[in-house]
Amino acid sequence: MAVRSFALRTGRRPAAGRKYDAASRRARPRAREQAAAWAFVTPATVIIMLFGVAPIAWSAVLSFQRNNLFSASTPFIGLSNYRQMVHDPIIAQAIEHTIAYTALFVPGTMIVGLLLAVAMNRKIRFISVYRTAAYATMAVSTISEALVFLWLFDPSYGIVNYAFKLVGIPQQQFLNSTSEALFVVAIMTIWGWTGFAVVIYLAALQGIPQVLTEAAAIDGAGRWATFRRITLPLLSPASLFLVVWLTINALQLFDEVYLSTRGGPLGSTTVLVYYLYQQAFGGANFNFGYASAIAYFLFLILVLVTAVEFRIGRRLVHYRS
Amino acid sequence: MRKHVLRVTFASALVAFGLAACGSGTGGSGSGAGIQIWEGYTQVEAKAFAHLLAEWNARHPDEKVTSSFVNNDYSLPKLLTAVKGGSQPDIAYVYGSWAPNVAQIQQVVNLTRVVQQPGVNWDDFWTGERDVATVKGKVIGIPALVDNLAVVYNKTLFASAHLPLPTANWTWNDFVSDAQKLTNAASKQYGTAYVTPGDEDTVWHWEALLWEAGGQILNAANTKAAFDSPAGLQSLTTLQTMAVKDHSMYLDQSDSEYGNLFNSGKIGMLVTGPWDLATFPNVKYGVQVMPSFPGASGGHQTISGPDNWVVFNNGSARVAAAEKFLLWLTAAPQVKYFSLATGDLPIRASVENAPGFLTQMDKALPGVSAFVTNLSNVKQARPQLASYPKISTVLGTMVDSVLLGKSQPRAALDSAAQQVNQILASGSS
Repeated sequence: MAVRSFALRTGRRPAAGRKYDAASRRARPRAREQAAAWAFVTPATVIIMLFGVAPIAWSAVLSFQRNNLFSASTPFIGLSNYRQMVHDPIIAQAIEHTIAYTALFVPGTMIVGLLLAVAMNRKIRFISVYRTAAYATMAVSTISEALVFLWLFDPSYGIVNYAFKLVGIPQQQFLNSTSEALFVVAIMTIWGWTGFAVVIYLAALQGIPQVLTEAAAIDGAGRWATFRRITLPLLSPASLFLVVWLTINALQLFDEVYLSTRGGPLGSTTVLVYYLYQQAFGGANFNFGYASAIAYFLFLILVLVTAVEFRIGRRLVHYRS
Repeated sequence: MRKHVLRVTFASALVAFGLAACGSGTGGSGSGAGIQIWEGYTQVEAKAFAHLLAEWNARHPDEKVTSSFVNNDYSLPKLLTAVKGGSQPDIAYVYGSWAPNVAQIQQVVNLTRVVQQPGVNWDDFWTGERDVATVKGKVIGIPALVDNLAVVYNKTLFASAHLPLPTANWTWNDFVSDAQKLTNAASKQYGTAYVTPGDEDTVWHWEALLWEAGGQILNAANTKAAFDSPAGLQSLTTLQTMAVKDHSMYLDQSDSEYGNLFNSGKIGMLVTGPWDLATFPNVKYGVQVMPSFPGASGGHQTISGPDNWVVFNNGSARVAAAEKFLLWLTAAPQVKYFSLATGDLPIRASVENAPGFLTQMDKALPGVSAFVTNLSNVKQARPQLASYPKISTVLGTMVDSVLLGKSQPRAALDSAAQQVNQILASGSS
């Protein structure tokens, strides 16, 4: 109602005002406003262009060059860098590891986040303390997180193996094992991102009208059925957002790998971005051309995966309007 | 309103100006013979270096040297970028393992004639240093730092295991059996440790063993792998025995835990360098030379990782000033001062031989004198090849795959040799 009357008022005004003050009072403020607007926008635009758009465009150029920083000439070699990827066995492994990691990280973070959000979506004592605690994982810097997890999962001195021993589970090699290291990295990142999922799910849960859950209760639905039939579908927009957001993050995994395993042992945690980094800056490679090609390949995957997720999501998501 | 617009425009102009200033950063100055040096010193080293710099600048007001901190790990990409932009420093601290790559940069000054000048006494620098400063017969740097590997052991753990302390004649058989006796699964105590991130740190520890066993990394012409030899097999098998069979070797995947563990008395012996000594305040440690392989020709050889000061061409006046400064910086009195202040090994043999020096060093950093005398056990350098970083990656995987129990030494050697040969065959890159 309020919105409509405002529209009516503003709709009427130009007609009335045009006669006298269109030239004198209107034109000048508009020019001034524009100048002010540009003044506000320019610094941010310049920074984004300089540090965002320009490097992105430049790396596209690099991906078609043989460019390794040492040689003075940087000849254009067409699609050679991209063709090289097809024959690079490590790329294949890196893709495999990236997919495996994403498959662990995205559902893992969402399930843990949802469980915690549901547990915290009620009126109990000290609830804000719990909520803050859950979000705190987001505030912890990756480097401290990685150091703590290195010691937690240390095969000899870690508390996880100690706990395993107490309950009689055989001792694990964790980060020293080619088959377990990626799982440890996934656990580390799930822990780090859970707070994010909790916040999103909590907000979504609180947006669910009680009328609906009460109606379900009156219809004789149990708690599980209510959760399954009412809550989960109504959370689907939040879930879609998380799937897309977390997938993009998972495909770009780097920090945790760099800080804990350096892609090892024996390359078992070398994911795409880590391999790209190695090609660009590791050893004395400086294969900027090849690294840029990998980056653009990853970019393509990201666009594709996101598009597919949205397409599938649109069918499954229930929006209330 | 108008005032406000002005202010905002002014602010954005400032931001833009700031960005432009950032962009042109280092290079600029140019005039006069004042020169710029990139170094990555921190803590005690930074303090000692600043002291030397102040001394030079006080004595040479028209050839002032200004230093910029550049983390050593990232100095090569930064240098390459600076060179492309024409804003290279006059002198930079560069890792020795990058020397062949750095030699490819056109602006790098050939110092061969400079180091042959009377009074420089080039042969006073250790063999290992000179080898790494020279690429294809051309001297491209002046030694900045030298170190080597030796065995640091925990005296208390040896005593409680009733083991005699390592002697200068010990062998890898002694090392392996000591490691086993120092291992205690119940108290999570290990005989020794090995770093397994698969990078050059993994590789050079093994290369020392290879040389002790009488082996070589590549053939003399640097055209083929030579490590797939009986010596290679012996070195890898020795490591495998400890890591896989005896479980007496703690494998440090992150390359960051072994120091804490040794300092907590959880590790009996460490093969490491002098830089770690200052981080072991809680244990009574001794230092001994590397063990030898009985009957092998390599003796108690060790490996060294020297670094260089490299000069970049910014016009003949500045090159001359840079050379003059470096010769002063690396002359005996300055080397002695720097070593005593920091515990870094002296880069000149004559400094070591000066009476009383070793005692003074041990006072500065207990046990470091053993590393100083161990410098004479550096007999050879890693291959000076631009493709060495690639070879190193292959060797890192080879060592890791054996230590993690994923492959047998013979198979690992053969597969690595094949890959290294491929890298060497594909020529310079």
